[in-house]
Amino acid sequence: MDALILARVQFGLTAFFHFLYPPLTIGLGALLVITEGIYVYSKNEDYLKITRFFVKLFAINFVVGVATGIVLEFQFGTNWSQYSAFVGTIFGSPLAIEGLFAFFMESIFVGVMLFGWNRLSPKAHWVSTILTAFGSALSGVWIIVANSWMQTPAGYKIVNGKPIMTNFLHVVFNPYFPAEFTHTIMGAWEYGAFFMAGVASWYLIKNNKDMVMRKALKVAIIAGIFISVAQIILGDVSAKEVVKYQPTKLAMMEAQWHTQKDAPEVLFTIPNESQQKDYFSIKVPYLLSMLATGNPYGKVMGLDGSIKYIAHKDHITNLKPSMFPVDAVYTTFHIMMYIGFYLAGIMLIAIILYWKNRLYDNKFFLKVLWYSTFLPLLALEMGWCTTEIGRQPFTVYGLLETQNSVSPNVTVPDLVISIIMFITIYLILLSFALFLFKKELKGRLEGKDEVNTKPKEA
Amino acid sequence: MSLQFLQILWFILIAVIILGWATMDGFDYGVGGLLAFIAKDDREKKIVINSIGPVWDGNQVWLILGGGAIFAAFPQVYASVFSGFYLAMMLVVWLIIFRAVSFEFRSRVEDESWKKRWEIVITVTGLGIGLLLGVALANVLRGIPLNKEHVDFESLFSLLNIFAIVGGLISLSMFLMHGSVYLVMKTEGELQKRARNYGTKFAYAYIIFTLIFLLISPIFAPRLLGNGLGILGDFVPALMLIGAIGVILAMKSNSDTKPFMFSVLSIVGTIASVAVGLFPDIVPSTINSSYSLTLFNSSSNELTLIVMLIATLIGLPLVLLYSIYAYKKFGLKVKLDEDSY
Repeated sequence: MDALILARVQFGLTAFFHFLYPPLTIGLGALLVITEGIYVYSKNEDYLKITRFFVKLFAINFVVGVATGIVLEFQFGTNWSQYSAFVGTIFGSPLAIEGLFAFFMESIFVGVMLFGWNRLSPKAHWVSTILTAFGSALSGVWIIVANSWMQTPAGYKIVNGKPIMTNFLHVVFNPYFPAEFTHTIMGAWEYGAFFMAGVASWYLIKNNKDMVMRKALKVAIIAGIFISVAQIILGDVSAKEVVKYQPTKLAMMEAQWHTQKDAPEVLFTIPNESQQKDYFSIKVPYLLSMLATGNPYGKVMGLDGSIKYIAHKDHITNLKPSMFPVDAVYTTFHIMMYIGFYLAGIMLIAIILYWKNRLYDNKFFLKVLWYSTFLPLLALEMGWCTTEIGRQPFTVYGLLETQNSVSPNVTVPDLVISIIMFITIYLILLSFALFLFKKELKGRLEGKDEVNTKPKEA
Repeated sequence: MSLQFLQILWFILIAVIILGWATMDGFDYGVGGLLAFIAKDDREKKIVINSIGPVWDGNQVWLILGGGAIFAAFPQVYASVFSGFYLAMMLVVWLIIFRAVSFEFRSRVEDESWKKRWEIVITVTGLGIGLLLGVALANVLRGIPLNKEHVDFESLFSLLNIFAIVGGLISLSMFLMHGSVYLVMKTEGELQKRARNYGTKFAYAYIIFTLIFLLISPIFAPRLLGNGLGILGDFVPALMLIGAIGVILAMKSNSDTKPFMFSVLSIVGTIASVAVGLFPDIVPSTINSSYSLTLFNSSSNELTLIVMLIATLIGLPLVLLYSIYAYKKFGLKVKLDEDSY
């Protein structure tokens, strides 16, 4: 084991674990803005009950997200000091601006939102919910600015071997930013919708006369159908940007070893990285060329061709096919994609059942919704893995290699200690968060939170 | 604006952001550290925790902002110090993680031993962060073994020297004093009386540790003698002492808010003393002073500093606006309701 691998393991671990939480803060936050908004304008108490109940779950998720996020901001310095010194002059600004404009807003108003129910008018409280949700989405903007800059660096020039900023707006609106941001935020909203739908379904399985949860489910699926369809479109847009700017990533995502004119879409494969071929695969002819270029005979760069392409473009001579983790990128990308289609299908069925007035009694489908609660999160994590592992062997695409990014003074024993501690702490946090989620769910069932069962709408 | 001017301005701005953190989040850690000692029953514990309940999270963002601002304005400092202090930084991070979840987790389960455990977490993280802040700053003041490439290969244990530990005791007593004066402001009756008592004691402790630190500085950190802004620099540490004496006197005056003001003054003195003690270095090297990171050789380029300056000039007033709104909504004295932790 060398320190580089351990540092990557630690970053992957801490980023993966942190990313379990912010999407729900963003996604559920957006839905709470809707439910509380309906309450403020319709005065229908049921929507207040929905909001107050889901805020309890929101709060648990929120603190774990905050706690695990701090690690990431410090970790660039602790574990990736060469990277930090190399790009800090560009990469640091979006992080600082995120704190200043987004995280302060989110964190100050979340306190007002959680503790201000009796101190603010309904409208003023709704505004603090909006600012919390808006702040969390805005945090996402700046984090994605930073990350997308690592994918498609722009707005800089090289002076004394280091990039320095020449145009701030080009840094912010780097080529990949719009696609990556919209795709990520839509994924967070999708998770929010499925989370609310899944929890509401769980209650409706127990008691289908629970009018409060019927309304929650209704709001969630109406939001969910738009979001989940939009997400597929945005996914396509993102992939086309990858075609344009990160040919090696696309080759890995689609397990394309060789450049072809009529590239097939690989539906399933067991890739053999060492020999650069498939053990076994199922392919649809022409489909990838069609998706990537709009032409069934369009040329799609494979791993061999794309390596040559960036080697030529960015003057990098030491690249070998074995440095590109096809296996991981292909797998994570396809899991994400298949989940995305599944989720849109589920929402479509939900809407049809709702239309035909058969949603709330359909125990089987409610169970499907409940079991799908965390699938959007899995898709988000897989997509994140695709983005990050697909950028390898670079930290900044075409500009800085991962092996030249790591801290030279952090030793293997240091890393072993910190990785063991992180695993321990994160398992504790995760199990407590799940325990508290479960407790809140059961608590409402036991009537600690009054359940409205009067048949008003049925 | 010349680059040099921007570099000096950003050195000051970073000090101001760290001051913002120490002032705003400092009492959160202080209150946390006091929890196990100052509150006698469950109701008092609730009051103590809820004195910071709605605001600690917003306050913590000052730390995030500090990290981001150092990263953007002085990337080499961020890289060298954070990697050089690796295990110490990890320790800080772990304490912050547990602190961040402790209030929420504690309040969610009605069980004596569950609550007790999280109260211990709140206290230990409060004390730990208070101590480590000073340990870190004292080590930077003394200088660290940066080599020619600005890399620091020292171990965790070399950070725990006497000089740094005295520094840690200063910051610990400062945070506990600050937490006490905050509780004087936020509470009433018996609890407030106890907070007055604790605040006075920690102000004395802070004065004593500060004097010890000043006395041993010439031995452990000789660079401090010839450094700084000359005669002006010598007066800055005096602010620390004036603030703490102010706290002691104000505690006797029955005012609820004056002790807090004086405590802020002593924090201003503390952070300003560190800044003046370092200037124009940010991280002195103990191997060779030409390897030191100064605010001139470690900063970002002009454009980054200008962009960040504009962002700060727009962003900080907004932060102050949100903060004032939030603090006003929750009033001066803690009032518990069903939404409290």
